[in-house]
Amino acid sequence: METRFLFPHKYKKIGWILLIPSTIFGLFIMFTNFEPDWLKLPMFTFFSQGFPLADTDGTVWFSTIKTNVANEIAGVLFLISAMVVAFTKAKNEDEFITKIRLESLVWATFFHFGILLIGMLFVFDLEFFTFMIFNMFTLLILFIFKFNLALYKSKRL
Amino acid sequence: MKNNLKVERAIKDLTQDDLAKLIGVSRQTINAMEKNKYVPSTVLSLKIAKVFEKPVEDVFFLEETD
Repeated sequence: METRFLFPHKYKKIGWILLIPSTIFGLFIMFTNFEPDWLKLPMFTFFSQGFPLADTDGTVWFSTIKTNVANEIAGVLFLISAMVVAFTKAKNEDEFITKIRLESLVWATFFHFGILLIGMLFVFDLEFFTFMIFNMFTLLILFIFKFNLALYKSKRL
Repeated sequence: MKNNLKVERAIKDLTQDDLAKLIGVSRQTINAMEKNKYVPSTVLSLKIAKVFEKPVEDVFFLEETD
């Protein structure tokens, strides 16, 4: 079946192989504040006010700042592999699987923003910032979970 | 919408997998249709009718609620 916006099936395995270590790495740097000095590198930025993470004097636009890239590496690895896992075609992508895909995406979107709503109302200050870091990824995580569960169920039906 | 896929499949002596391969869909899709959990597209209905060599109305039927 002709499907738009999906990667070929062959990339699914590579996606999973990348996703598992990058999830572990991401959680590891999140909980241990892993920021070794050798990962403090000059990075191009659109905009920075310096405080509290980067060390620039005041506000800068379109310039280079020094910042620790451990979280960038984890985030980029996780996002790319999760997107590949989420949006590669199933082995036999047909109209029924496309329907499951759409329903799972709607379900995941509801839950993702539902969690965000709850967080907005009940989590504040720096804790809200930490919450937001996790919330950036929940849409993809929820979708991957729900879609694969629905596929598995339909196989056993 | 209802269908008699299962009966037609038995007449032709086809498994779900055989039929799936003939029309280029996954086995889950055939299964979901037989369980009345999925209403196929027009293209898919026509393909199925073609395999059974029958008009599409002999394989798929409207229900009261449709």
